[in-house]
Amino acid sequence: MDPTHFVRINTGSPEPIYRQLIEQVRRRVAAGQLKAGDEIPSVRELAQALAVHPMTVSKAYSLLEMEGLLERRRGLSMVVAAQHRKAQPAADRVELLRPTLEQAAAEARQLELPKSQVLQLFNTILEDAP
Amino acid sequence: MSPHFPHTESASAELAGVSLSYPRGPAVLNGLDWALLPGQVVGLLGRNGAGKTTLLETLLGLREPDAGTVRLFGQEAQALDDAARARIGYVPQQSDLFEAFTPTQLLAYFRSFYPRWNVAKVEGLMSRWEIPREQPIRKLSGGQKQRLSIIRALAHEPDLLVLDEPVASLDPAGRRDFLRELVGEVLDRGATVVFSTHILSDLERVAFNIAFMSGGRIALQAPLDELLEQVRAFTGTVAEMAALMARLGAEPLKRTPLEAGRERVLARLPEDTAPPAGVPAERVNLDDLFTELT
Repeated sequence: MDPTHFVRINTGSPEPIYRQLIEQVRRRVAAGQLKAGDEIPSVRELAQALAVHPMTVSKAYSLLEMEGLLERRRGLSMVVAAQHRKAQPAADRVELLRPTLEQAAAEARQLELPKSQVLQLFNTILEDAP
Repeated sequence: MSPHFPHTESASAELAGVSLSYPRGPAVLNGLDWALLPGQVVGLLGRNGAGKTTLLETLLGLREPDAGTVRLFGQEAQALDDAARARIGYVPQQSDLFEAFTPTQLLAYFRSFYPRWNVAKVEGLMSRWEIPREQPIRKLSGGQKQRLSIIRALAHEPDLLVLDEPVASLDPAGRRDFLRELVGEVLDRGATVVFSTHILSDLERVAFNIAFMSGGRIALQAPLDELLEQVRAFTGTVAEMAALMARLGAEPLKRTPLEAGRERVLARLPEDTAPPAGVPAERVNLDDLFTELT
């Protein structure tokens, strides 16, 4: 897998980079874009591609391994764990959005926005997406 | 953890109780303690004039402190032997390259001082970073001089790399390429890296640890991941804040008085605790930390 396109990171976020890596791998496994046995970039490859400290990558990989998303094969390469053979049902996938939407909902309440306006904006954003 | 990150080795650089003042000036370093461990990439943050350059020069033994001790690889920084000296790479803020030399001459000159010299790396970087080899250095652009200075500092495969605003003249692509080289230094040798910069996005990527300099000291050094997860901003009356800090076991890092007896408190929560529900707490990013802690 090409390490430069494996994940993207945003700087300036309150979300630590290792968390961003974890969330993206979770989403891609849930969506079936990454499937059981798929090899993922090594710590070295990904750290150099993203220009991040190798500990940041190895921390994310270790936590994903503990979660059962990744498996360590003999040697150093890691693969997507065997039980993730196909995409999760949409009902499960949508749950991954919950934390982001809860955050958005909290901000909407702080801004005292009517529900209809917030939902309309979300609709527009979904439709505009590339 | 992988073998790239030895945790048992002693500090590459260790400063204890270091104070330094310039003639007729206030203390720039004021009882400063600091340790850099092998494999760490530490980003040094501080306002302009906070003394970052003085600190880095003192760390390297280029300035003698008025008080305190500075040790590099266990040796007195002011009296390093050649072997220890060869383990250090330094990119100063102001280019100190010999302007009349060509890059080829300069690199040949420095090569004679070091037991190790990675020719393949030097040649690769010279080509990739498009540095004219046979032009006098004074004719190079600021960015080219900076890149040459970085190549010189990496060529002898140092175990401790000290970089003072190393990317100020580089464009974003050049900076990314430079950061990749730094990551390579850590991967290949577990090099210790300390660098100062105002470009926080670079720091955020590559620096696992951030050191905030303020008041002549390292006010705080911690892994950035932990700070982003543990630091929150709270607002309330002074009494409410005191009670909240005690209840959460949180360590206040910065208090900012607001009107009407209220204050904003930036505080670090104990590890693995979430702020209790119902208490409004703002998350912070590196910009916020820089603004509040330096």
